[in-house]
Amino acid sequence: MDIILQQLVNGLSLGSVYGLIAIGYTMVYGIIGMINFAHGDVYMVSAYVTAIAIALLSFFGIESFPVVILGTLIFTIFVTGVYGWVIERVAYRPLRGSSRLSILISAIGMSLILQNYVQISQGAKQQGVPTLLSGAIRFDVGDGFVQLTYMKLFILCASFIGMGVLTYIIQKTKLGRMCRATQQDPKMASILGIDTDKIISTVFVIGATMAALAGVLVTLDYGGFDFYVGFIIGIKAFTAAVLGGIGSLPGAMLGGIILGLSEALFAGLISSDYKDVFSFSLLVIILIFRPSGLLGKPEVEKV
Amino acid sequence: MSNAVIRKTLVSLAVAGSVTLAHADVVIGVAGPHTGAYAAFGAQLWNGASAAAKAINDAGGIDGEMIKLVKADDACEPKQAVSVANRLVDSDEAVAVVGHFCSSSSIPASNIYEEAGVLQVTPASTNPGYTDRGLPNVFRVCGRDDQQGDVAASYIVDTLGAKNVAVIHDKGTYGKGLADAMKSTLNAYGVKEVLYEGLTRGEKDFNALVTKIRSVDADVVYFGGLHSEAGPFVRQLREQGSKAVFISGDGIVSEEFVSVAGSPKYVDGVLMTFGADPTSYAAGKEVVNQFRADGIEPEGYVMYSYAAMQVVAEALKQADLDPIKAADWLHGHKVETVMGTKSFDEKGDLLVSDYVMYEWDDKGKYSMLDM
Amino acid sequence: MSQAVVSINYKKSVIDAVIAGLLALIVFGPIVGIVLDGYDFNAEPERLMWIVLTVMAGRLAASVFFQTSKGAAFLYKHSSKEEGVHVLPPGHKSKLRWIIPLTIVIALLVPFIASKYILTVVILGLIYVLLGLGLNIVVGLAGLLDLGFVGFYAIGAYGLALGYEHLGLGFWSMLPISAIIAAIFGAILGFPVLRMHGDYLAIVTLGFGEIIRLVLTNWTEVTQGPNGMNAPLPTFFGMEFKRRASEGHVPFHEFFGIPYSSVYKYIFIYLVLLLVVLGVLYVKKRLTKMPIGRAWEALREDEIACRSLGLNHVLVKLSAFMIGASTGGLAGVFFATYQGFVNPSSFTFFESALILAIVVLGGMGSTLGVVIAAFVLTVAPELLREFADYRVLAFGMLMVLMMIWKPRGLVRMTRTGVEQREGNVK
Repeated sequence: MDIILQQLVNGLSLGSVYGLIAIGYTMVYGIIGMINFAHGDVYMVSAYVTAIAIALLSFFGIESFPVVILGTLIFTIFVTGVYGWVIERVAYRPLRGSSRLSILISAIGMSLILQNYVQISQGAKQQGVPTLLSGAIRFDVGDGFVQLTYMKLFILCASFIGMGVLTYIIQKTKLGRMCRATQQDPKMASILGIDTDKIISTVFVIGATMAALAGVLVTLDYGGFDFYVGFIIGIKAFTAAVLGGIGSLPGAMLGGIILGLSEALFAGLISSDYKDVFSFSLLVIILIFRPSGLLGKPEVEKV
Repeated sequence: MSNAVIRKTLVSLAVAGSVTLAHADVVIGVAGPHTGAYAAFGAQLWNGASAAAKAINDAGGIDGEMIKLVKADDACEPKQAVSVANRLVDSDEAVAVVGHFCSSSSIPASNIYEEAGVLQVTPASTNPGYTDRGLPNVFRVCGRDDQQGDVAASYIVDTLGAKNVAVIHDKGTYGKGLADAMKSTLNAYGVKEVLYEGLTRGEKDFNALVTKIRSVDADVVYFGGLHSEAGPFVRQLREQGSKAVFISGDGIVSEEFVSVAGSPKYVDGVLMTFGADPTSYAAGKEVVNQFRADGIEPEGYVMYSYAAMQVVAEALKQADLDPIKAADWLHGHKVETVMGTKSFDEKGDLLVSDYVMYEWDDKGKYSMLDM
Repeated sequence: MSQAVVSINYKKSVIDAVIAGLLALIVFGPIVGIVLDGYDFNAEPERLMWIVLTVMAGRLAASVFFQTSKGAAFLYKHSSKEEGVHVLPPGHKSKLRWIIPLTIVIALLVPFIASKYILTVVILGLIYVLLGLGLNIVVGLAGLLDLGFVGFYAIGAYGLALGYEHLGLGFWSMLPISAIIAAIFGAILGFPVLRMHGDYLAIVTLGFGEIIRLVLTNWTEVTQGPNGMNAPLPTFFGMEFKRRASEGHVPFHEFFGIPYSSVYKYIFIYLVLLLVVLGVLYVKKRLTKMPIGRAWEALREDEIACRSLGLNHVLVKLSAFMIGASTGGLAGVFFATYQGFVNPSSFTFFESALILAIVVLGGMGSTLGVVIAAFVLTVAPELLREFADYRVLAFGMLMVLMMIWKPRGLVRMTRTGVEQREGNVK
């Protein structure tokens, strides 16, 4: 019993991270219909920026946890957001109107560039950040116990707050309305006076900031990272986005949590050898039988 | 930055040129990852081998013939290993090779050396498959993964007296080979592992696996893999409140292990098998001092590479520079090296393995355990 | 374009450059300027400064250039979409028709003049030509973006190793069998993904390629997992290319009474591979002229229109997948026999990206382009070993720049026009 509960805790925290990264995929897909293949690598960049921010702060002698975490979050989100904007400007905007294939290939190229640029500048070694917050809450369940570290608790809270803020922006603000309008009909939106190029850029920035939030949280929790971390987690997050219905914001979060939970349960109860085979098979099966995902709207083919 | 690259290219061109000019000499390849993710290890191989070659040349060479070294880069990719092996035996006409570093490079390359009748001595490839295929020309001056597994298994059974052992590996050539070797010795001792699973390299979340380890009440976790996964893994193990002893192999011998784990307190008490400190041999004192005087720390595989070069030179000397005869000679004779006297069995493995147990402390350093 | 004198707004250019410099500072600042070292860091302001200055200078130059009439013409030229296939006039005779036989003759001579090392590099190049041709059918002609092509390559390579290990089959039996198995896998993948297109397809195929690699890694009982497997060499009428042949076989050099040399085996692999590549080239050339090839391209350009015209899109897509996959399988067999050893680390996603880069850079659909790109991308790294660290970075940049500059690749696909004939139906 305690084991199942612990696996649920594991799955929930992993899933909320998947969800945060999935938002970047789902928003970009919703607005310009492309898979931003480089998004996982934006997350990877944010992990490096997190470590650099912490190193800088400790260099200036700042040690208190709230200040460090706040400073790191602001710095990382800002830098990663600029990355999102620059990537869109350099690799995707010149291709607006080209075939989807060209944009996707450009995105794959961007992903290779980011990985290798980080590898060359930072070296191919493993990196880590010092533990800032340790300790855990322990619940006794029957004979065993369930352990929830403060860091996991922090991840859960921070990602739900991040989600909440984003939902508010999209649903209630003027910017959100413009985003939704562009998503529904870019041509009409531009006729109505919305600068669609600007909105698309904004969406990339929002996606990157969510990836940065995930990057900070995950890096603080797991400690280690390298230039290759973006690939696996990017694919998993994309799976989550598809699972929830690509283009749908709550879908991304739901998909992330379902994927995280099912991975944890699969690895815990069946085999961790075939865990990734399971996730990829899940992706393939969903795309075959329900291409629009759990909460997505079916795609209508237009001539 | 580009300036440095151009200079490097010019230097390497000059090196290549000097090699082709001096064709009468004994050409020996130093093959390893000189670029890419494992370039640091390639540099260790090169430092050790070139220092040894210089010492031998200063002492008159091999029967008066000077050793010329050729750097061969495989980037630890099997595909490139085959390509550079062909270049070494064909264009460079090497008679012997010190290398490669990764087992997955040494194995495919050894086929090419065997066909060309070239002697191969690896300072670092520990996979049993390298020598187990019965090739006559392959040797190694390092241990084998199964020897390492033996040491770990006997420690687990005899010293720790553990009953519930979880065996985890990273599905890589090295990691899985190590875990399997440990497991089979463990089973031979009559202890059956309670869990045997793989994790994915490149991932950082092993919480599900850790919970599973908790569910089987493991008191020892044996991990075959590298520090990149061992760090987060041991941290998550501790964070979930498991007190199981964590044991691994020489794949975690790196200071990065501590930084990846997030804090020295997580690696406190972690055990690992590793060759007895290569700088501790009496025969190598002078060489170690010489390295330090030259500003090179003889860490990792530097001394192994030095010893490999000595083995190659001695065998070639005894066999009048015929590499096939040299390989025959090595199977029945002892060679004095900076890491003590080395002798080989019929497969080309060392007769005596030098693996011992090390322990990490709460400062993030490791030291040899008395056994 | 009129040749009106355009005044250049230098102030705007300078502002552009400053903004670009600021962005470069934010983007490159942390990653390039501060190098992590454990929990500490080393500052590298010098290289950061160079990068920022380069970006500013580049932006300034570009900004000024695009305001001149030449720059405007350049922009105009490259903003126009190059859609469809370039049609040549009827009866057009390619200038290349003399070059093809010449190339074949040179190719046949290569093994007898080149050293063994060069020969092995050329073999690797030809293997990538084969892979590029296979993926070109799927991506270039049929327009189905396949990011898991390496899966078929792995199936071919492991087909040879597994067939040898478990069934005792040699190179010659496994060459066709592996191609067929790869084609079957192509169909298995093809069926479910027929309903998808574009990006969804890309992700599913990527998942498929990863699944194959993961299964090869984990299924230790059969594939020996990460330890890899040995693959056999080809035989020449039962004769082996080894120094000492296995039981019941005669070594090639003893039969002909010549001294042993390992180069014979590479010459033989090369010649067989060359024949297969030429065969595939020929088949592909024919296919593009046949209805099926035209159907692939039509489907690539507009699926809905094709379906409304009664084209069986299931059959068309499946055939593209299967033919592409079987070519990948053939390449895998050659790779395994050339290397003598296979393990899952040769079949990562990067390999798929490399093959895709060959197809994209060569020009999607263009055979000549693919051949050139395959050689450039495999031979260049061999020549530039010193720059190996920058190789992948250069790949990525090439992919992005190529898509911006020439979305249809280096060599555009062409087709000779048809003379109008008098038909029966008026």
